[in-house]
Amino acid sequence: MSFYEHTIIAKQDISTPELEKIEKKYKDIITNTEGKIIKIEKWGLMSFEKKIKAYNKGFYIHYKFEAENETLDEIKRNSVIDNSLLRHLTVRYKKLDLEAEYFNEKESNEKKK
Amino acid sequence: MKRKNNKKYNKRNDNPLNKLSLFQKSDSRFSKTCPLSGKDAPIIDYKNVKVLKRYVSDTNKIMSSKITSVSQSKQRKLTSEIKKAKILGLM
Repeated sequence: MSFYEHTIIAKQDISTPELEKIEKKYKDIITNTEGKIIKIEKWGLMSFEKKIKAYNKGFYIHYKFEAENETLDEIKRNSVIDNSLLRHLTVRYKKLDLEAEYFNEKESNEKKK
Repeated sequence: MKRKNNKKYNKRNDNPLNKLSLFQKSDSRFSKTCPLSGKDAPIIDYKNVKVLKRYVSDTNKIMSSKITSVSQSKQRKLTSEIKKAKILGLM
């Protein structure tokens, strides 16, 4: 077992109930394959620095979990097929840093106003 | 009068920082220490975009360690972390 971080970028034109479905879907994948979720961060709507597949903005969801190889394969297979996702990234860590939060949903919303 | 002028001229040349010529670079310019290692160094992480943006040029190219004086092992970590941030569209 080792620690991982997984971030997903969902498309901008997705409604909020659908977003919650996506968040629950990957949460279930991790728990069903004997993984442990440590933390979930919602970064909210953020604009990209560069266009990705003709989109300017996207919803970011960030997972921190402890799991084995099987869950990683399952996550990767699902996120490649998924039409509502733009990009995904998994990074392996020896120790997870739970204190520092670089993106807050409230802050990013206030800046736009 | 001539002697006084000579003394002033000599004093200026003693300090290596006063050399302004391009071809005779001063010694003090290259003795900078690595800004990313040490006690209060910032964390290098793909989420910490504020730090990573310092080491990137205007056209989003990674700056060489000759200019930024980052140590060799930290430069290796920086490049991999900047590439991860670029995948997620953060930079």
